[in-house]
Amino acid sequence: MSKSNSSSFIWLPVVIVIGLFCFAPQVVSAYRLELLTIFLINVILAQSYRLMTTTGDWTLCHYILMGVGAYATGILAKKFGVPFYAAMPLAAVITVGVSLILALPLSRTIGFAFFIASFALGEFIRHVWLKFHTPFGGARGVNGIPKLEIGQQGDWYFIDFWDSTNFYFFTLIFTVLALLVLYRIDRSRVGNAWKSIYADSELCESIGINVTRYRVLIFCVAGFFAGIAGSLLAYQVGSIDPHNFEMVEMVYLIIWVVVGGVKTYWGPLIGVFSMSLVFELARPLQEWRPLLFGLILILFLVFMPGGLETLLPRIKSFFLGLVGKKEVR
Amino acid sequence: MSFFSVKGLSKHFGGLVANNSIDLDVEKGEIRGVIGPNGAGKTTFFNVVSGFYTPTSGTVEFKGKVISGLHSSKIAKLGAVRTFQRAALFPEFTVLENVIIARHLNADTSLLNAIFRHNTKAEAGNLARSKEIIEFLGLKDEQDNLALNLSHGHQRVLGVAMALATEPELLMLDEPVAGMNSSEKAVMVGLIKKIRDTWGITVLLVEHDMKTVMSLCDKITVLDFGEKLAEGLPEEIINNDKVIEAYLGADDIVA
Amino acid sequence: MGFETFVQTFANALVLGSIYAMVAVGLALAFGVMQMANFSHGELFMAGAYVVYVLYSLVGLPFLVAVVAAFPIVALIGMLFERVLFRPTRGNVLSGFMATAGAGFIMQVLVGQQWGVGLMRSVVVPYKGSAEILGAAISWQRLVIIPATIIMVGGLWFFLKKVKAGKGLRACAQDPEAAVLQGISLNKMTSLAMLLSGGFAGVSGALMAPIIPVTPYMGHVYGVTAFIVVIVGGMASIEGAVLAAFILGFIHTFISTVYDSVTATMVGVLFMAIVLVVKPTGLLGNVKV
Ligand SMILES: Nc1ncnc2c1ncn2[C@@H]1O[C@H](COP(=O)(O)OP(=O)(O)OP(=O)(O)O)[C@@H](O)[C@H]1O
Ligand SMILES: [Mg+2]
Repeated sequence: MSKSNSSSFIWLPVVIVIGLFCFAPQVVSAYRLELLTIFLINVILAQSYRLMTTTGDWTLCHYILMGVGAYATGILAKKFGVPFYAAMPLAAVITVGVSLILALPLSRTIGFAFFIASFALGEFIRHVWLKFHTPFGGARGVNGIPKLEIGQQGDWYFIDFWDSTNFYFFTLIFTVLALLVLYRIDRSRVGNAWKSIYADSELCESIGINVTRYRVLIFCVAGFFAGIAGSLLAYQVGSIDPHNFEMVEMVYLIIWVVVGGVKTYWGPLIGVFSMSLVFELARPLQEWRPLLFGLILILFLVFMPGGLETLLPRIKSFFLGLVGKKEVR
Repeated sequence: MSFFSVKGLSKHFGGLVANNSIDLDVEKGEIRGVIGPNGAGKTTFFNVVSGFYTPTSGTVEFKGKVISGLHSSKIAKLGAVRTFQRAALFPEFTVLENVIIARHLNADTSLLNAIFRHNTKAEAGNLARSKEIIEFLGLKDEQDNLALNLSHGHQRVLGVAMALATEPELLMLDEPVAGMNSSEKAVMVGLIKKIRDTWGITVLLVEHDMKTVMSLCDKITVLDFGEKLAEGLPEEIINNDKVIEAYLGADDIVA
Repeated sequence: MGFETFVQTFANALVLGSIYAMVAVGLALAFGVMQMANFSHGELFMAGAYVVYVLYSLVGLPFLVAVVAAFPIVALIGMLFERVLFRPTRGNVLSGFMATAGAGFIMQVLVGQQWGVGLMRSVVVPYKGSAEILGAAISWQRLVIIPATIIMVGGLWFFLKKVKAGKGLRACAQDPEAAVLQGISLNKMTSLAMLLSGGFAGVSGALMAPIIPVTPYMGHVYGVTAFIVVIVGGMASIEGAVLAAFILGFIHTFISTVYDSVTATMVGVLFMAIVLVVKPTGLLGNVKV
């Protein structure tokens, strides 16, 4: 086994991609840069959603969890003037708390019932936002969320977040960190325990893995990252309302991971990237766009159920062939 | 006080009485066989004592502690570990990875460790111990193969390896030689003996195959229609009229 | 709440419960037979409303004819779902569910492009006036839904218990493998199940067309409610679906009247969560899914 070979093969493209993202502000317009920022937030969302699916527990409330992070940030920053370095971790913790509460009834169910129940509970939360004007602002939501602040004009460490480039880099740092942590978790003992639960939960119990506890845990960890994504979103867009977190958005998230695949770590990244690209390219289609995405979703589910990631081994052996290396295993 | 002691254990599924007031005592270091015709309630018995089902009535004590009603993962943690009648494994992991995953109870499973890998020493220990177990059970040549590609015999051995990886004091094997050919059976019988003799692990096994049970067990308990029919040394059991009657027509007894 | 308001609310709850029942039985039936769930069940409901909009409001056929026509038309869409979405993904309930989500997008766009996006098209009420019951006035348009449900659900019950094809459906729902051994064609049965499922959703949408705004997105709420009903009742249980439909109908109507509709939805969902915790198989179900 030449493990080092195949892992250096992975890390080279990763470094190149990060390099490209650092370089992006030089070449794209301010509008495009904001789209890229949203894209980075979506990457966190998609990758944390993939984590959720490793136990086989697909949910329909991941978007809502992102909303919890966004609302928490918005309210803390606007109503209480909490600075970002406190608001973001607090928002993440609040999202974990909400995840924990949701996980209690959800962990009583598996598979499809879990999927549907997660949706209903998510809708419950969305209705809480709609109903309670204080502090959630009802249907209008939370508007005028202050920009990030690091230093004051004149301080040597002052960073001006009215400049979208700065917030872009801020988001980029969080995205890279989140991806790194999620990667480590995926490869860890805990990550393997989750995958084992998907494979055979009875066997897991017999070797001492408390399945219920681990299912709750994964929900909380995925919720944490969704909360971070939501927090970034709140700062990026400046105003949020319950319509931002409707079912339609969740379906797009599902399209990303279905198109990319969830079996490998790379699948959701491929999915969110390719579908965001298609989404922008399809802008001229206007109202017809959901139809296109509906079709894409169906075609993938029927004709390529594993997603684009199933092409990865072929691409890999192609490149290995180019550099004259035999494939291992 | 026995090492493992079951008192008046019953399990009902609606109207069906799968286990009826079973008493059983196993001493430390014993290999105990539980036999009985199809549907006698053997697997149900395992499921109840290992915490997969809650008993309708009765208690199970292990090392002087009541374990009935506890969560199955908790019972495994206390050192009573069961295997399955089917070949249970994680198909898309290698043999070595399967055994390492089964070291869960002996590992640092915190998220912090997952992210920062600060506890590499413990994991190195787990790796070494996993390899030791694999070697002990003669799976070394299969170590890097995916579990799903193993032969049935090897898959069953892997099941035992995973149970051993939890460092149990009581190993409960549900039909460990089911579906095996005679040479595979002989290997498994040898392994079970070796597990007890070398590591001193107490074994409770359910089996159909009379020959296996006779050659392996110190003592045998016979279940029929969910009730304990007889209990004794292998010679006593094979000559017991009630047992012969229960097995009448079944060829298991001569197989 | 005064007596008149109470009677009024009670009648409204019966009407809403009836509609929920009609929508949800199709979902439960399809789930029982196929072990597959249709995310876009609400879009079939919407399609039924548009059948009425087109045939009654635009073409000018009698309302009753349009409602009756909604059954075969939407049933065909249901069968199409079965053929192109459920059959290729059979055995994987999540895939089938997501594929129908895609189909829902497609239907919303097609309907929106044909008859206007998001525009509220009001369908003129065919049965004007209202009945006076114990001092409360209930519009005929709503009241007629109750007998319609009794006929439809009663008909379904008769079909499942007395007709050969219906017995086949029940056999499939209980044990698909055994049913196949008895010579029942699984494909025919799943097709039939989706036909009925579509037909019921279609008729419910058709009946509601004069009562609620007809838009491409109108089905969403009803689809969601149908799922909550079916989970509360027990995924594959038709009796459970009917029972849960009326419970939800009463919860929604009474709480909307006393408080507001947002609270009503929240209490409905909370009720579902409680059922899941106390009895994960649903009120009358016995399979855990
Ligand atoms: N979860 C369950 N629900 C209902 N009945 C069950 C359940 N598990 C087992 N039974 C019933 O309990 C009885 C005993 O089954 P069990 O599997 O314990 O027998 P066994 O002795 O292990 O048989 P075998 O030798 O075939 O493995 C059978 O009649 C079986 O149908
Ligand atoms: Mg058995």
